Amino acid sequence: MSGNREMVAPLLEISRLSVVLDKRHQRFKAVDDLSFRVFPGEILGLVGESGAGKSMTGCAILGLIEPPLSISSGEITFDGVRIDQDASSIRGSKISMIFQDPLVSLNPLRKIGDQLVEVIRTHINISKAEAFGRAKTLLAEVGIDPGRINAYPHTFSGGMRQRVVIALALAPEPALIIADEPTTALDVSVQAQILDLLKRLCRERGTSIILITHDMGVISETTDRVAVLYAGRLAEIGKTSAVLKNPRHPYTKGLVAATPRIDANSFEKRLFQIPGAMPDLENIPKGCAFHPRCDFASTQCQKQQPPLFEDRSACWLSNEGSETS
Amino acid sequence: MLIIVLRRLLQAVMVLLFVALISFLIFRYVGNPVESLLGQEATVAQRAALEEALGLKDPIYEQYADFVLRALQFDFGNSYRGALPVAELIALRLPATLELAMTSAIFAVIFGVITGIYTAINRGGFIANLILSTSLVGVSLPTFLIGVLLIWVFSVELNWLPSFGRGEVVELGWWTTGFLTASGVKSLILPSITLGLYQMTLIMRLTRAEMLEVLRQDYIRLAVALGQSKRQVYFFHALPNILIPVITITGLQLGSVIAFAIITETVFQWPGVGLLFINAVYFVDIPVMSAYLLLVGFAFVVINLVVDLLYLLIDPRLRDGQLKRGAD
Amino acid sequence: MHWFLQSDFFYSFRNAPVAVASFFVFAVIILAAVFANFIAPNNPFDPASLNLMNGFTPPLQSNEFTGDVFLLGADDQGRDLFSTILYGLRISLFVGIMAVMLAMVMGVVLGLIAGYLGGWLDTFIMRFADIQMTFPSILVAMLIYGVAKGVLPPDLRYEMSIAVLIISIGLSEWVPFARTVRGLTLVEKEKEYITAAKMIGLRKSQIMSRHILPNVLGPVLVIATITFALAIIAEATLSFLGVGVPTTKPSLGTLIRIGQDFLFSGEWWILLFPALTLLALALSINLFGDWLRDTLNPKLK
Repeated sequence: MSGNREMVAPLLEISRLSVVLDKRHQRFKAVDDLSFRVFPGEILGLVGESGAGKSMTGCAILGLIEPPLSISSGEITFDGVRIDQDASSIRGSKISMIFQDPLVSLNPLRKIGDQLVEVIRTHINISKAEAFGRAKTLLAEVGIDPGRINAYPHTFSGGMRQRVVIALALAPEPALIIADEPTTALDVSVQAQILDLLKRLCRERGTSIILITHDMGVISETTDRVAVLYAGRLAEIGKTSAVLKNPRHPYTKGLVAATPRIDANSFEKRLFQIPGAMPDLENIPKGCAFHPRCDFASTQCQKQQPPLFEDRSACWLSNEGSETS
Repeated sequence: MLIIVLRRLLQAVMVLLFVALISFLIFRYVGNPVESLLGQEATVAQRAALEEALGLKDPIYEQYADFVLRALQFDFGNSYRGALPVAELIALRLPATLELAMTSAIFAVIFGVITGIYTAINRGGFIANLILSTSLVGVSLPTFLIGVLLIWVFSVELNWLPSFGRGEVVELGWWTTGFLTASGVKSLILPSITLGLYQMTLIMRLTRAEMLEVLRQDYIRLAVALGQSKRQVYFFHALPNILIPVITITGLQLGSVIAFAIITETVFQWPGVGLLFINAVYFVDIPVMSAYLLLVGFAFVVINLVVDLLYLLIDPRLRDGQLKRGAD
Repeated sequence: MHWFLQSDFFYSFRNAPVAVASFFVFAVIILAAVFANFIAPNNPFDPASLNLMNGFTPPLQSNEFTGDVFLLGADDQGRDLFSTILYGLRISLFVGIMAVMLAMVMGVVLGLIAGYLGGWLDTFIMRFADIQMTFPSILVAMLIYGVAKGVLPPDLRYEMSIAVLIISIGLSEWVPFARTVRGLTLVEKEKEYITAAKMIGLRKSQIMSRHILPNVLGPVLVIATITFALAIIAEATLSFLGVGVPTTKPSLGTLIRIGQDFLFSGEWWILLFPALTLLALALSINLFGDWLRDTLNPKLK
């Protein structure tokens, strides 16, 4: 699908998006000049450490950025329509969202059926009875006994609640779902089930997903393409298989090397660690934000911020690398 | 569910028995039961006979049991002043206090919840800030001062509303009501505001805090992310969640409304139970004080019980016995 | 981390004007009360200095019979209102401070005992506290006041009324102290230095007073500030209701009660000035207490 993506119009296009935090007359860039596209039916992974700007990008798409945060520049286009000023026309109806913690994503005082009906009827003009029928179908699809439609959230386990949340997200029949760490709060055994479910339902419907996560394992198993964020900037983007097999940005290399793999000799090897920590918003270094932690940093890295080379990697080295290879 | 209700009931009875014990100790040892029953002009022989008849020489626990049994039949002895039965005095004045307490509680809840939600939704707005800072002054003002100031403005200067009494009342059996006459309703206004103002600010601040808290929750963020309108978010999602704490506090405040009625009734010379009690304190009329303690204790325990049961009705999690209440 | 610390300080500093202003008002009121005998033109509690002819003199006008002028007017008995307010403040503050001390000592001791010793004592104390807390403290104070008056022989009732008032208000406010101290004690007694103190054979009373007590004092002081405001309002309320201090030594509440009686006849100053003083006092303590609570212990909020 990505082979002929030049010919397909992108579903969502983010170009040169910057989100800033205003604090005591100072301005910090939480998302810095970020551009990427999401194509119909594809699953794009957004990976990075906490604070890298992943969730903020998700919120920006839905227009949920609130003071002291604001979008300072850039455009977000969905299906040819600009939504960075007013996202209310697509919020929920065309793009929906899944949050990290299913335990707090559902209103504890409302039956799950009522919450589903409420969302369905907000976006689709049908009667209450019809909406109820749809809610039951959705529950069955996400693997919950439709007979429990009148149950309250607290009677479900964490994994089951995330299934309900997925049903909520699918209810308005959106073209894109932003899933913000949808499995982080769940037991490891449940994580794969939920991811498979999400993937299968979206493939069936042709719904795209932006999957926000910090887990390279989740990225490799679920996504078609991946965008690696570092300190609010795009470090590397590309087909998941290509990026994981042959990472060009040193940060991506570090991430891949730091991912535990269960194979014969993994118990003898110590897991790789990237030295240092990601800078916080107020102390982003000049030049390439990664250079203080980078083993290959040159003086150019300290002075100049690298552009994205070949639509793939924002690293001066990858530029040289691609020239030599 | 049934077990929870039964346990709450048992707790309520225990608290009541404890309050009755204190009430009994006051009645028996601070006051003089013989005097309270016979009046001060009784002869020595009469006193001795009554002491025998009252069982004042019986073991203390029997006397206590006797006291509780008599209280259950509304027999609280006679007032020192006027030698009327205390129960009769209280029954005569109870409607006035209950009508006042109810009116001010309703006033407090309606305005408290409305302003609370308003100030939460319009956080930082000019009117919201104005309401909030006014409420801070309101909380600092003692109840009696609010009453006196209201009288000054609306009775003395503007001469719009009466400053004392209940106005004309209509008798409905043993109940007397001020709701049915114009002067009765007018007389209710200032005392109700005085009594309800503090509770109103409390409910407002609570509603606001709860609303802000709820609006921060992930399920609200999700509802917004799924494109639900503000109205849906506030009324479908947020309101039920703020109702629980608001009902609790309102319910618990109902108790203090009855107690603070003492102050309001004194300011407005409102012929209720509170005025009866403060006069009893003034003249050291022990039987009236002891009976009032029992009455208020009973009211508080019943209110707490009702609030707890309402909790069970509203929160499905509690109904299933999943959460323990922090207080217990 | 360092940055957050700074921002907290910045935040509290930005809010400090309210705290500074309220503290200033409070300090002025305290000083005025303490030095009342130097500031006040005359002593309103000395019957010899009063002239009934001066009754109801409006503020800053000379009395038509005696020609005396009073800054804030005179009350029904010809007492200079300004002096009476200053002396009344003394009584209000004295009752407030003593009541808070009583409540604090009682609450801290019972809280330490309940928290450190535990067992049936803990259950008994805290159950009693729970039941008392179901009743508003002003009601409890009134009851204790009534009972205490009932216990006292009639000829002592009048003389003892200030002591009775202090005891009633003090006993009605001990619960918050006890609850907080108990909670903190439960945390503190699990710490290693307490185990160490036990090892070297300190007695329980020593551990409680020397080791645990200093560690719970911070929150106790915050509660004391808030309780002080409550106690002053309680005193004013009881005096207003006529079950507080005697009318010969009026406190602010008594003055407001007297003032209310003369509202309809147009003598507004007897009500207004004591009311404003009480409002300033209660508001400044409340605002300062709020700030103190937020600054010293954000968790108490």
